Amino acid sequence: MSNPYLPDIATIQRVKPETYDTTSFTLKFDDPGVWERFRFRPGQFVEISVFGAGEAPFCISSSAHGREDFDITVRRLGRVTQALHAMGEGAQVGVRGPLGNSFPLDEVAGKHVLFVGGGLGLAPLRPQILEVYRQRDKFQSITVLYGARTPDDLIYRDELEQWQNLEGMRCLLTVDVGGDGWTGNVGVVGSLLSEVKFDVGQAVVFVCGPPIMIRFVVRDLVAMGFGEDDIISTLERHMRCGIGKCNHCIHGDKYICLDGPVFTYRQMKAMMELEP
Amino acid sequence: MNAYFLPRDRVDELVGRLLRAAEVIAPKRVETGDVFYSPVSSPGEVAWDYKTAVEPLKRFLLPQQETVLRFSTGEKLRVEPVLEEKDRIFLAVRNCDVTGVNVLDAMFGGEIEDPYYMARRRRATFISLACLEADEQCFCVCGDAGPFLKNGYDQQWTPLAEGMLIEVGSDKGQALADAHQDLLSPAEPDQVAEKLQLAKRAEETFGEFRSYIAAAMRRLTLAETPDEVWERLADHCVECGGCTFLCPTCSCFTVTDRLEGDGGVRERHWDACLYNCYAREASGHNPRAEHSQRLRARFFHKLSHQWAQRNGRHACVGCGRCVVGCQAWAHMSAATEAIRRG
Amino acid sequence: MAEIATICPYCGCGCGLYLHVANSRVVGTAPMRAHPVSRGRLCLKGWHAHELADSPDRLTRPLVRRGDELQEASWEEAVSEVVRGLQGVIERAGPQAVGVLGSARCSNEDNYLLVRFARAVVGTQNIDSGLAAYSLPEQIAAVSDARIADLDDADLIFLVGAEPGEEEPAVGAHIYRALQRGAKLVTASVRRHALARLAALHLPLKPGAEAAALGSLLYELVVERKLAGDADVTDLTAALADLKPAGAEGKTGLAAALVSGAADLWQAAEKVVVVFSSALAASVEGARAVSAMGAFRALGAGPRVAVLGLLGRCNLRGSWDMGVRRGFLPGAPAGDLAAEGRLKAAWGGDFASGEGLPAWEILDQCQALYVMGDDPSRNLPDWAARRARLEQVKFLVVQDLFLSPLAELAHVVLPAASFAEKDGTVTNLEGRVQLVRAAVKAPGEAREDWRIIAELSRAFGKPVSPQSAADVFAEISQAVPAYAGLSHHSLQAAGGAEIGRDGAADALAGAISALRAAEDGAQAAEQFPLLLVADPTLGTWAEEVSVSHLPVAGREFTVTGKDYPDGMLVLNPADGRKNDLRPGRPVEVASAHGAGRMQVKFSPEVPEGIAVTPYHHAARHRIMNIVAEVETGRPVFAPTPVSVGAGK
Ligand SMILES: Cc1cc2nc3c(=O)[nH]c(=O)nc-3n(C[C@H](O)[C@H](O)[C@H](O)COP(=O)(O)OP(=O)(O)OC[C@H]3O[C@@H](n4cnc5c(N)ncnc54)[C@H](O)[C@@H]3O)c2cc1C
Ligand code: SF4
Ligand code: SF4
Ligand code: SF4
Repeated sequence: MSNPYLPDIATIQRVKPETYDTTSFTLKFDDPGVWERFRFRPGQFVEISVFGAGEAPFCISSSAHGREDFDITVRRLGRVTQALHAMGEGAQVGVRGPLGNSFPLDEVAGKHVLFVGGGLGLAPLRPQILEVYRQRDKFQSITVLYGARTPDDLIYRDELEQWQNLEGMRCLLTVDVGGDGWTGNVGVVGSLLSEVKFDVGQAVVFVCGPPIMIRFVVRDLVAMGFGEDDIISTLERHMRCGIGKCNHCIHGDKYICLDGPVFTYRQMKAMMELEP
Repeated sequence: MNAYFLPRDRVDELVGRLLRAAEVIAPKRVETGDVFYSPVSSPGEVAWDYKTAVEPLKRFLLPQQETVLRFSTGEKLRVEPVLEEKDRIFLAVRNCDVTGVNVLDAMFGGEIEDPYYMARRRRATFISLACLEADEQCFCVCGDAGPFLKNGYDQQWTPLAEGMLIEVGSDKGQALADAHQDLLSPAEPDQVAEKLQLAKRAEETFGEFRSYIAAAMRRLTLAETPDEVWERLADHCVECGGCTFLCPTCSCFTVTDRLEGDGGVRERHWDACLYNCYAREASGHNPRAEHSQRLRARFFHKLSHQWAQRNGRHACVGCGRCVVGCQAWAHMSAATEAIRRG
Repeated sequence: MAEIATICPYCGCGCGLYLHVANSRVVGTAPMRAHPVSRGRLCLKGWHAHELADSPDRLTRPLVRRGDELQEASWEEAVSEVVRGLQGVIERAGPQAVGVLGSARCSNEDNYLLVRFARAVVGTQNIDSGLAAYSLPEQIAAVSDARIADLDDADLIFLVGAEPGEEEPAVGAHIYRALQRGAKLVTASVRRHALARLAALHLPLKPGAEAAALGSLLYELVVERKLAGDADVTDLTAALADLKPAGAEGKTGLAAALVSGAADLWQAAEKVVVVFSSALAASVEGARAVSAMGAFRALGAGPRVAVLGLLGRCNLRGSWDMGVRRGFLPGAPAGDLAAEGRLKAAWGGDFASGEGLPAWEILDQCQALYVMGDDPSRNLPDWAARRARLEQVKFLVVQDLFLSPLAELAHVVLPAASFAEKDGTVTNLEGRVQLVRAAVKAPGEAREDWRIIAELSRAFGKPVSPQSAADVFAEISQAVPAYAGLSHHSLQAAGGAEIGRDGAADALAGAISALRAAEDGAQAAEQFPLLLVADPTLGTWAEEVSVSHLPVAGREFTVTGKDYPDGMLVLNPADGRKNDLRPGRPVEVASAHGAGRMQVKFSPEVPEGIAVTPYHHAARHRIMNIVAEVETGRPVFAPTPVSVGAGK
């Protein structure tokens, strides 16, 4: 039996600052054999060790396809994230994973696909956006709505520009508070929902962002007629082991790490009933 | 399964052999008079007449603090697990505590195994000593975990007038019996009858603490308990964590890194879901910021059908340790009473 | 695995616990069922006691200041540095220029040798407790006579300004169990805390009127209900003249009906235990309120009455007994000739036997400071102002487990052994002398506090004879009458031995003069509509060095500092809304004395019109009015009218 607590060693290939407090790291396993069994699916996460500082969970934010390394996008907050931000290219970290369940893909083929992201919430959506786009023939349409507090809080800005000009994808941006040089939409991301023109009965939506944003957006989506099983989100909780042993991430009758982090709105509602 | 008889004057001989074969953990009276499950080095150290031990067996399988990894951060990062493996026989331990281990097995086993727990668990043998008389705080009868068990142990010993009745409950227990056949004889029907008599009498010795587990389970499962119950309970809990640390089935842990010289260790420590910061996130957001929310989550995890299904049974074995250890008055017996009354 | 029976190093309850030891490391804590106080229970701190010994943040080598930096040094260097530094000050300014602070966290042996070091080796009488501004040894000794077990057959428990669930949880456990068997609880405090919510009756205390409120109840009991019995209460009655409940509502803020309700419960009881804590002692009327309790014991009729003063640190009581207390020698007040004789014999000659300065004056006046196991930074109301002064001290030595905020200012820092690494005794709040046992070796070069003191005494050319903690205790049993006949050997059993108090004053006389002087409660003013109170029962241990460094439990004690980095201001939600405030947000708090920023918390526990802040948060600011208490001269926070700016 392999030890699920034993991290594999990976080296930081690239450090890319996204915002004033958020940075993306590209990680590659030192032992190429690890990549073979790593094979993650969009929505899954990893536990990253900065030895001496500790371990923390981050979703994988890069494409599940065509690469031999992967990205995480990390906001600087506490011990581990601060230590990570202090690391540069060539530094080594520990990686456990991939962990958790993933976004449905084949199950939602044939539908209009809507992504609604807020702030750092674009990170877990990114692998799914890229995958859906790669297989765009299978879907009726792809729409990405992304908002952040200010223009300085938008992550993946270079890529957002690309997406806005892509054939086969509609990508709209907004910020809560504009600023110098911002000529785009101003308003919460929910305000972009009025741009949705497709038949919501034929659609699926993936929503990620801060809890308050999720709450409001989901309310709007329900009002628009999205089915409870067609609203899909990821949840975050304080987490230690990532494999359903430490119990920190329990919410109601679920382990976020094991049963999630991806849940349908119907599941989330049931969890909220058990543990409001 | 088979049953044997071990005459009283051969008990020490058998214990002596166990001591030579493995580390033996048995009830031991320390100088204050309290009893701990603790390594013994001679048969005379076993406190056969004890009622209950201060702590359950959890510490031996999931230590309060343990090193799980060692890392060196020199030139090249190296990480290796630190696994403890040794044969251990848990002798004369209580049935509630053995049941507690069975619950832990479900939590730490399953599809993804916890290698630290399992390494110790696989090499452990549990010989229980059935209780003839309950301690003040006990309510294993309500927890479906004693005083006598039908299974779940490797061996169950019952002190009869003339010696021990040994019931075998697993292959491990059978192998142990087989290895010491020279000291044992097959149990006679009247010896089994004597045990049944003792078991019946034991049930009558339970005291004031009851736990309305079934009623509480129902209400928890359906999330029927009004907020006021939890708020009231919160005024009766000072967040010491004692109930969780003393509970045979509470198994939350947290993880810390510690730097030592050129590297360091990763350790895990018991944690308590009733603590304020247990679920607090780095952003400062705390999904269970209210004490009442933490109590609700704890009892939901211990008693709801949802979790009972995942773990094979609900997570209270009625050992009563939370009753003894509660720094206020929000232990299992008080809580189930409050939940039942709504 | 071995289980070492010992005593919890935190609060004054003195719970028994076991340390689990494996591979020469303390790896766990377990409660002690056989212990008469804790009976198988521990609180959050106690459950994590092993982490104190095992904390990676422990000091392991002496540190000596070189320039701006504290650098590691050998013991030889550090000791000679201490001798040089202290002797320099002694030569220039005399031994009285050296001030010494002992510790309620250290053992009797540590404190006793420290007193001997101060008085007989250095030759200074300026020795006091690091907690002096926070506690009232005289007044508490005069009134507190109960044992914790008295709670177990009380049918009325009267909690005054105490929140034992938070401060002394093991006492809280006895109260929770008393409630279960049907005992009644009456609480009197500013905040309506958890136990107050379970009380049969809660008396909302008006800040600053604590003594008057007690006086009102006494009036009802003594004058109206004639519970004095045969006792002569002429003077007491005279002192209470202005406190008749019906007429004193303006003074005390207590409705007469509440006072009479409390008196009904009192009369219906057979045994009353009155419990108070450091929370009361730290208030501006603290000394008077505590003294006033003495009158309860003088009631000749009605229920039996016992008074229990709670003490917040594991050996506060013992450190006082050892003479870590202004104006006190080991076992007797300064000036007690018999005591002087005993000590001369034990210490080999003359020593500085005077009263000395209280801690706050020691910090202000002494040129050299020697501080063992304490950090006054959270116990002194005006720490913010004093910190600047401490930076000027010519020579500061700190002996501690961690690099505390005070240690960071020191010239020499000496690494001490924790409770898990030394033998010794501590005396709990009720006078239970108990044995602390070494379970493992101290980390690195850390040493027992008493051994450090012994080493220093030797370096000063005045070696002390004891070679072990048991030897030191043998000397204590000779020097301190209450400890006579005890030895480490005789204290082996769980619960140790119970002792009485040396040199306690007359309780009734103290009560009468205190009640005569009782003040009216404080009032808010028009431009400062809220009354700000510093509450030591709020986050009693939050951000304390000894718990903040615990690898796991530290999380629970540092969170207040993370959530309320500038200090926590607790308001009734109605007041919060009135001022347009939002929880967690910073606000500007202003008074006639100063202004500062704090973060807001809403809690229905706090009555409208009042704002509460943890005592140690108040100490960081210059918002509150700091006054010298009339009785003792202690600096204390007075309830201070404040305004809160609009929330941002
Ligand atoms: C499934 C999942 C995916 C996540 N993905 C991302 C991501 O892509 N980018 C990102 O910046 N953040 C992500 N987070 C949040 C991230 O894990 C926390 O910000 C991080 O744990 C903070 O660690 P710290 O050591 O810096 O903070 P500290 O406050 O020092 O926390 C110490 C420990 O507490 C736990 N912890 C604290 N906060 C959280 C939290 N919010 N969630 C889980 N554990 C926590 C961790 O074990 C952490 O090591 C994710 C969390 C989860 C559960
Ligand atoms: S909840 Fe209490 S009684 Fe039940 S198993 Fe745990 S400690 Fe024992
Ligand atoms: S033992 Fe009692 S007081 Fe302590 S956390 Fe559990 S319920 Fe709360
Ligand atoms: S109540 Fe006091 S003595 Fe008891 S465990 Fe808690 S801190 Fe220690």
